[in-house]
Amino acid sequence: MAALGEAEQVVATTDSDQGDFNEAEAPGKSDDAPFFPSDSIEELIYDDLTEADHQTLHKGTIHSIVRQTSYDSRSETPNTVDQDTPDISAGEESLEDSAETQVNSNSISVGEQEECLDAEVEDEEDVNSPNWKNQKKHVFILSESGKPVYSRHGHEDKLVTIMGVMQALVSFVQDSKDSLRSIVAGKHKFVFLVRDHLILVGVTRGTDSTQQMLLQLMYVYNQVISVLTHSQLSKIFKQRRNYDLRRLLTGAEKFFDNLLNLMDSEPGLLLSAVRCLPLDNQVRDIIAQTIVQNAKVKDLVFALIIAKNQLVTLVRMKKYYLHSMDLHLIINLVNASESFKEAESWTPICLPKFDASGYLQAHVSYLDSDCQVCLLLLSVDRDSFFTLSECKDKIKTRLTRYNALEAIDSSLRRKSYSTQQCGITDLRHFLYKARSTAQYTSPELEAPYCLPGEDERLFGMYQYLHHRIHTSGRPLKILFHVGQYETLLGWVTQGFELYAVFGPLVTKTGAIHAVNKLLRWIKREEDRLFILNSPTF
Amino acid sequence: MAGSKVDAKVVLLGKSYAGKTCLVERYLKNRFLGDTVPYQNTIGAAYGAKTVTINGKNIVIGIWDTAGSERYEAMSRIYYRGARAAILCFDLTDKSSFDRVRFWIGELRQHESECKIYLCGTKYDLIAEDPEKRAVSVSDAKSLAVDCMADLFETSSKTGKDILEMFNKIAQNYVASKNLKEEKAEDQSFVLKESGRRHHCLCTS
Repeated sequence: MAALGEAEQVVATTDSDQGDFNEAEAPGKSDDAPFFPSDSIEELIYDDLTEADHQTLHKGTIHSIVRQTSYDSRSETPNTVDQDTPDISAGEESLEDSAETQVNSNSISVGEQEECLDAEVEDEEDVNSPNWKNQKKHVFILSESGKPVYSRHGHEDKLVTIMGVMQALVSFVQDSKDSLRSIVAGKHKFVFLVRDHLILVGVTRGTDSTQQMLLQLMYVYNQVISVLTHSQLSKIFKQRRNYDLRRLLTGAEKFFDNLLNLMDSEPGLLLSAVRCLPLDNQVRDIIAQTIVQNAKVKDLVFALIIAKNQLVTLVRMKKYYLHSMDLHLIINLVNASESFKEAESWTPICLPKFDASGYLQAHVSYLDSDCQVCLLLLSVDRDSFFTLSECKDKIKTRLTRYNALEAIDSSLRRKSYSTQQCGITDLRHFLYKARSTAQYTSPELEAPYCLPGEDERLFGMYQYLHHRIHTSGRPLKILFHVGQYETLLGWVTQGFELYAVFGPLVTKTGAIHAVNKLLRWIKREEDRLFILNSPTF
Repeated sequence: MAGSKVDAKVVLLGKSYAGKTCLVERYLKNRFLGDTVPYQNTIGAAYGAKTVTINGKNIVIGIWDTAGSERYEAMSRIYYRGARAAILCFDLTDKSSFDRVRFWIGELRQHESECKIYLCGTKYDLIAEDPEKRAVSVSDAKSLAVDCMADLFETSSKTGKDILEMFNKIAQNYVASKNLKEEKAEDQSFVLKESGRRHHCLCTS
């Protein structure tokens, strides 16, 4: 952010200077949160991340659910955790699905840059092409032996050499019993994450901090696990170290692309928090109760409704929680897949924080004709498609009868809410995260941030603010930052994180007064903006 | 599967981009989006059902349109388990997709011997346009069909060629085999009783 560099004045307040900040209230607080408050960024310690996976990934949850619920009925052994590894001996079709990859790479280039419209097409994927070099952020996945698995820009095939270099760097440092974390070269940051069998590398010249990049790489790694499961990944690479993982990931590139795009625009992934669709408390209760009553199915672990990347409701099996990181992967699955809109689907999905060793089976369907309201029923029983399909029909009928679908639809059409509704002059935008529930809220983007490029700049400022507050060397509680075009205030307590953007002329006292007022407003609206209870089956 | 009101379960298998989803789309909704909507690979499997009338009887066909990506192969059993018919799709312009069909034949023979196989070469319209594009010869396809006692169709989801015919054939075969089974079942109950009596006789004598 060049703009931040100029004419800025940073005032970091310390404990003694916060008499005006009232810490007692944390709107959106709840002891009965529907999901785990996730690892927030300050808990992202590099050593934890690079620890062997069996310590950080949860395993066996699916097995224990199956054991609990199915000893009475099925003679068949529980068939959820499928460890069948596909036949990996045949190597003849490494070029198969070329048509598909073609399509994918096309769609990438359409989505990202206008400048490539007239760019030399053949040059587009080359490491030396200016277009490739000019990308703001690169993310690469390679196998331990240096084989390309995924690249956000360009085609992995043409990046074999550069990925070889990355692998060499990592293993060179590893040889001296050390690990390579990051390299800073001019404006560029290179961040490395080494996990079981995979090396992830992120390169940015944007506003992302090293830790933020690391978090993003974690998401990407979890996305791989979500598609393949950790067990399958380990098994494959144990059998053949130089296996070309792209074969198993064909068709999944769009999940990575979409996830990375979401991370560049959705504050939820940065904050490790989920945005809920604003809904009347009673309507939300009705929706949850409808699901509870009509989806009383053995082995159903989670039922949730998602609309436009926002959570409408979540019902869970007793004792089991959904991690916000897993929820982001579910949202990404829905967001990236057009194919769910055509028909009811039944698809395996692994939730790494829930159980990295096996798949849950997801029944995915849309409840409205516009395909905006998506119902997901996640079960450990692979044969329950038709049972769940009946549940879905019942839920749909009831929700239509109670006008709940209409309520969701009108909330979607109204968009979120305007900053003006908070009644605070000079407040332009804010992000508020309730830490105990891992949920966040923020108003619609309005002028001047709805102009092209400006939304990106705003997001960059939030990244900067978030980074300054959470930086591991010197974590801050409050940061008042006067920039060239706006003034930022960040405030973190036990209960919440608040990032607010004001006009450039606001004074410190003015801003403090405003955020206190804002907290009161959020408190008043908390029933609508957050999910504060957690219904179970 | 519990709770299904489905008579005949049909599963589509084959390499990704072979045209399975378009085939189902044409059959269930009678439309073709391949020219307007960019290619979208299926995630997991999609389900659709249609009621057809055969000899004055209504039959519900439940169709599983599976994802072609390799990673789903290990899990594909949950989709084809109990299927009465499997449509093995291959792209007539792509030889490798035809080779993949053999894999599925082996798989089905091993796990679902009851399942009737239908070979379906897709994207016939491309060949009608330009015969040069054909990568799978009719004779190759025919001999494979004979090998696995399958019916062979060459279809086009764009024009609709032979798609209704194929599903009608599936439905008819299903009815025929069901009738045959019912007859057999009656036979069997008779035989069982008889053998029981005989057994009894032997014991007492």
